[in-house]
Amino acid sequence: MLRLDGMSCGYGDFRAVTDLSLEVREGSIFALIGANGAGKSSTILAIAGHVALQGGGITFENQEISTLPARRRVHLGIAIAPEGRQLFPDLTVRENLIVGGMIHDRKAEAENIERVLGLFPRLGERLTQLAGSLSGGEQQMLAIGRALMAQPKFLMIDEVSLGLMPAMVDVCYNAIAALRQEGITVLLVEQSTQRALDIADDVCVLESGRTVWQGTAAEARDDPSLTAAYLGLSD
Amino acid sequence: MTELALLVQGLLDGSIYALIAVGLTLVYGLLRILHVAHAALFTLGGYVGVVVTNETGSFILALVAAMIVAGIAGMIIYRLVYQPILHLPPYVALIASIGLFIAMQEGFRFYDEQGVSYVNPPVQGTLELAGQTLQLAKIVTFFVAIILIGGLGLLAAKTRTGVAWRATVTMPAMAESFGINIIQVRYINFFIGSALAAVAGVMVSLTTNLVEPTSGDVWSYKALAIIVLGGLGSMRGTLIACFALGVLEAFATTTCVPLGNIQICLGEIMNRDAIAFAFLVIVLMIRPQGLFVRA
Ligand SMILES: Nc1ncnc2c1ncn2[C@@H]1O[C@H](COP(=O)(O)OP(=O)(O)OP(=O)(O)O)[C@@H](O)[C@H]1O
Ligand SMILES: [Mg+2]
Repeated sequence: MLRLDGMSCGYGDFRAVTDLSLEVREGSIFALIGANGAGKSSTILAIAGHVALQGGGITFENQEISTLPARRRVHLGIAIAPEGRQLFPDLTVRENLIVGGMIHDRKAEAENIERVLGLFPRLGERLTQLAGSLSGGEQQMLAIGRALMAQPKFLMIDEVSLGLMPAMVDVCYNAIAALRQEGITVLLVEQSTQRALDIADDVCVLESGRTVWQGTAAEARDDPSLTAAYLGLSD
Repeated sequence: MTELALLVQGLLDGSIYALIAVGLTLVYGLLRILHVAHAALFTLGGYVGVVVTNETGSFILALVAAMIVAGIAGMIIYRLVYQPILHLPPYVALIASIGLFIAMQEGFRFYDEQGVSYVNPPVQGTLELAGQTLQLAKIVTFFVAIILIGGLGLLAAKTRTGVAWRATVTMPAMAESFGINIIQVRYINFFIGSALAAVAGVMVSLTTNLVEPTSGDVWSYKALAIIVLGGLGSMRGTLIACFALGVLEAFATTTCVPLGNIQICLGEIMNRDAIAFAFLVIVLMIRPQGLFVRA
């Protein structure tokens, strides 16, 4: 569904990601893993159209999208729940969802809000609350919910579990599993790896902007040296 | 002269500030630019208002024409002056804006150095309120301002377009991720803000019956100070600051305080603009972040 071919990207002259190739299969969950500064968020932002490519290409459903402006990519079915959540803090929960579904009409908006609230009932109690006043877990739910409002085929979630307490991490991973059931393809970014490896189909490990390991999650789970070398043992 | 009459007078004047300052706040909120040249659109609106009224005899038509001309001029300013330098440090845009302000003044001078006046001034007349004489034009201005700014507020609060616009103000990149055309939002922003400034320019021309190249100057400085007072980018703070300043001016220019056996009348020592600036300077010394900055 999504393919990176030797993609390099960065900021000005600075190169954050070098020569990255990977393929996210339709209906699968792909985990992008690595330490601080490895280039995970930059990769996601490049796919979303917010970080400039310095080489290579991005293909989505057989269409080269790297020259497409960011606001057009959502129309293809690409949505993002970014690093730091990046909610609209002065807007209410409902308004944040409305922005997420801006490319669809009002009727779809109402249905999509119902769908998001089905996935995250807690947001339903807080529709009129300002997003900036939500707890960390609620913010992550809203970030994912806002992205779902666009009815994406392909959803990118950065830092799924960062800063969340275990119960909240469960909520988010259960939601991701449910989305896969609905046929949504997911690219997720994690530092803490165990949960990601448990749910993912394929894995790519980045270090200093380069791929150091790539394969199926099953292989990754069976490779103790990999877990020790790159993924830490904190989980 | 009663307190009520002064209050009313102050609110009427505050509505002019509001018409001008809303556009400045819109631009600051979206682009973080101090749009000094905004006041030139006030002047432009005044010119169009007077000239079209004189040519056609219709003040309403002139008002609408002024809004459209200034609105389009605002969009052109964004496109030609600001958009190419948005990636540079903010002082670059500030300097460009000051330069543009001067250039536009010279443009007006080129058109008519002496300024323009109404042949048959419209919306004249006065009303008596508690012994105070109020100009009809100012009362009309007040209601026009309330309707336009209130309508804008409703639009921002209740419509999808308004939600998209507020989202773009806080996080443009994210708004873009969800399909919002942020360049289009900026154009709309400049159009609306400039059109409101033009309304102010036309309404002020009714009471002065003169629009000249420098008509926007004092308004420019005052409006900039007002938006700083209002907490830069905060629309609510700006509106409060506008009406507060109007009321303050009304009271300060007419009230005398006894000091021993002499009467101190501020209005006899300083004119109203001087009083306003003295107030703004004092407030900004005490609270440089503005009165109504968000926590
Ligand atoms: N806006 C930016 N301008 C310049 N350099 C940046 C910017 N954002 C990130 N970088 C640099 O790019 C590199 C990769 O950063 P990135 O945020 O992609 O890493 P990451 O894998 O997401 O890290 P983390 O786990 O800490 O979020 C880092 O060296 C970082 O300093
Ligand atoms: Mg990151």
